[in-house]
Amino acid sequence: MLEALLDGFRRRDRQALARLVSLAARGEQTAVAATLPCPAKPSRVVAITGSPGVGKSTLIGQLIEHLRTKNLTVAVLACDPQSPISGGALLGDRFRMAGAPDDGVFIRSLAVPGGRGAVAERLDLMIRLVEAFGFDVIIVETVGAGQGDTAVRDLTDVVVLLLQPESGDDLQWEKAGVLEVADVIAVHKADLPGAEQTADQVRATLDVVAHSPTPVLRLSSKTRCGIAELWQAIEACPLRRGTAHSNHELLGRLQEELAARFTAAEETRQPDWVTTLDDCKRGDPAALARALQMLAR
Amino acid sequence: MSSPVRIVLAKVGLDGHDRGIKVVARALRDSGLHVIYAGLWQTPEAVVRTVADEDAAWLGLSLLSGAHMTLVPRVLELLREAKLERVGVLVGGIIPEADIPKLLAMGVARVFGPGTSLDEIVQFLKARSEAGHA
Repeated sequence: MLEALLDGFRRRDRQALARLVSLAARGEQTAVAATLPCPAKPSRVVAITGSPGVGKSTLIGQLIEHLRTKNLTVAVLACDPQSPISGGALLGDRFRMAGAPDDGVFIRSLAVPGGRGAVAERLDLMIRLVEAFGFDVIIVETVGAGQGDTAVRDLTDVVVLLLQPESGDDLQWEKAGVLEVADVIAVHKADLPGAEQTADQVRATLDVVAHSPTPVLRLSSKTRCGIAELWQAIEACPLRRGTAHSNHELLGRLQEELAARFTAAEETRQPDWVTTLDDCKRGDPAALARALQMLAR
Repeated sequence: MSSPVRIVLAKVGLDGHDRGIKVVARALRDSGLHVIYAGLWQTPEAVVRTVADEDAAWLGLSLLSGAHMTLVPRVLELLREAKLERVGVLVGGIIPEADIPKLLAMGVARVFGPGTSLDEIVQFLKARSEAGHA
């Protein structure tokens, strides 16, 4: 079954791609990564982040239109939150970005479990799948998140932070986090009053110590202003991603391996394992090291 | 590891009434499904492309416009052309009694009319998904 999927993938069958993304999302067949064909050329991977309602999906819809006029193909990995209570999710991003069916556009909605950051698990593998399939541009839409959600930087080439007019006073921008990881900052909904002031505040914050090279743009999906300029700013950023494996991806794999070993040890419940774990639970620091050693065997 | 069932919900054609489909979307979300909401004014072609790219097990179509005997067969035909017969198709909305057997004969898995309880839809999807569909 996996072989057939990989065959289809190499023949550029979209459904094979769609199924492989599902397998990746479920954490199955992560070994697929090793067998993926190398991309003919690296894709440009762009993250679009910003708080809920700032217009990420709508802007991505505009960007897709713009990129298609330049004959660039686009894959979108759109993340939305999953309920921590029911495990359910309403994935409503593509509704705002999809136009008529187009072979040059692939949009996939992904659910992100609560409290796990702004992007779906195994996003790294999914990015490599769509990259190997040959899309020129890969856009990652984060869950509407903000301060603190910075993991996406390791997985992408360019992080675009969207802000909107009237979002916070000037001290807001001094807080650490998302402003630091942004490669391009854009004040969206710039057809509304106050956009210029917000852009000025952000500009001033960035330049408070020394001149910052981070561009601060104003754009509006409603009036379709500034979309071409945004793409120019994205293109001007160097491709940052490491080659095959990022540290983030390797750490993720190690964590998965450790979790699998822990589960296996719990299932067999060898007496020395049980004792060690009991010691750990009582707060014995040496027991934690012993447990780690046991898992390493 | 079991993973949540994925369902695309869409309205095809020019029907602009989306309250019903939003209520169903909420109920399915709360029952643990992953709902891909494709929204209003979709063409059959766009819906089938969405189902393919999203690798969904189910497609729910809501029609209140009376165009179901034109649009539903078209969607089913495109699904077959795309080799997506495995996708279960549900129809909801205003469907005259007499058309229900015709839709089922075409390959629709179930028609849910006005008055259907949300729980009935949820239970149907759960039972069919556990029975190995998707």
